[in-house]
Amino acid sequence: MTIVPPDKALDGFGRYAGPATLILASLADGAKHGYALTKDIESFAGVRLAPGTLYEALARLQAQGLIEPVESHDRRRPYQLTAVGATTLRAQLAAQRRVADVGLRRLAQGWGSV
Amino acid sequence: MKAPGVRAPAARAARLLRWYPRAWRSRYGTEFAELLVADIEERPRSRSRTADVIRGGIVARLGQAGLCGAGVWGDPAEPGPLAAPRRSPAGRTGASLASLGCCAAVFAAVGGAMWSQLTTGWQWSPPGTAGVTVAMLAMSAAMGMLTVLALLAVLPVAWRVAAGRAPGVRGPSVLFLAGLAVVVIGGRHFGNGWPGTGGHPWPHQGLVPGGVAAFSWASTLSVSSFWAHPAALAAFPAPELAWMALSPLAVAGAVTGAAAVVRRAGLSPRVLRFETWLGRAACAAMALFLAGACAWVLARAPGAMFRPGLIDVAGLVVLALALAVAHQAAGQARAGAR
Repeated sequence: MTIVPPDKALDGFGRYAGPATLILASLADGAKHGYALTKDIESFAGVRLAPGTLYEALARLQAQGLIEPVESHDRRRPYQLTAVGATTLRAQLAAQRRVADVGLRRLAQGWGSV
Repeated sequence: MKAPGVRAPAARAARLLRWYPRAWRSRYGTEFAELLVADIEERPRSRSRTADVIRGGIVARLGQAGLCGAGVWGDPAEPGPLAAPRRSPAGRTGASLASLGCCAAVFAAVGGAMWSQLTTGWQWSPPGTAGVTVAMLAMSAAMGMLTVLALLAVLPVAWRVAAGRAPGVRGPSVLFLAGLAVVVIGGRHFGNGWPGTGGHPWPHQGLVPGGVAAFSWASTLSVSSFWAHPAALAAFPAPELAWMALSPLAVAGAVTGAAAVVRRAGLSPRVLRFETWLGRAACAAMALFLAGACAWVLARAPGAMFRPGLIDVAGLVVLALALAVAHQAAGQARAGAR
């Protein structure tokens, strides 16, 4: 497994970087299986990840060591964040917050508060 | 009551799951099927879901073939049904190299058919234009490079297999050797029947020895536009027709065996880096050949010997596709071998 800095860990995900961030955010409050992930992400982000996209991102996250499967007797296997995954998510969200802060500040300067 | 023609969610999920490769299904199949069943029960009809699963399956298959960085390799530390070499970076590089080898074989078969047509023509008379001459020199140099690179690529793998350090490759090795033997023996047999090999009064006046041209012609006899002309094909001798049908199977067997050996041989990182370097050099050789072939087709040389046909234009498309996939595989192999 290649060790990459947390803020670069999702760089190689390409079009799966968005789904990967959503999955990591969903797993931040505990382990979830595929369907629970789909419903949770739909509730907090308004995005429904299709099954193929979800598992593509899950497989990549697992290969990067950002999530790990949890032992289960159920046919639905839950996944949980790893320590590296938590650090990566924190770095990713901080970067997104910086973008959001800059955008909101400039909007306020140019367009005023709505 | 279920409407006629509507499948149960589990059956539909199982059907969708078939888009994914076996290794992926072994690892994720059960849980993915559960997700699909839940999704189908919630949204019985969804074309976007079907399209997404098909796309995901294709991506997983490309990843399994070492053509993209899809995460089908999983975590090497986790015990699971996937064999360890397939889930390691070395296994991924091996898969990329195997795919590269398959592309190179397709390229060599189609390009060899094209090249043998030209070298056969040169046995009778040199090309009349400088453009075709230069194109043929480039194609011949590329063919020579590909042959040398193939021999260099085989050596370390053959050494490991012969030394008994690669368990589980006996079957693929036999398949490879059997396919190769059929191609060589059949190619020699039918090549010897070609007039340029022995009966031609100037068998060595061409760009390459007559025997080489004849072998290349005979071993790629199946790559022919005659398949589109059944009446003309019917006039062929029965043994030649049988050879045209058998030789592609022999090539396919040899390539399949070789690819399986490369994937299972457990080559060391050093050998993988060497093989990756050879693969990149093979891509350069293929690009040189393709440039020469394009120059020949565009030159539109007069005369029956060097005039390109529709099959040659189609051949260029196949060559370009094979080169593109081989280049992608070489890139993935390089990334994995680092």
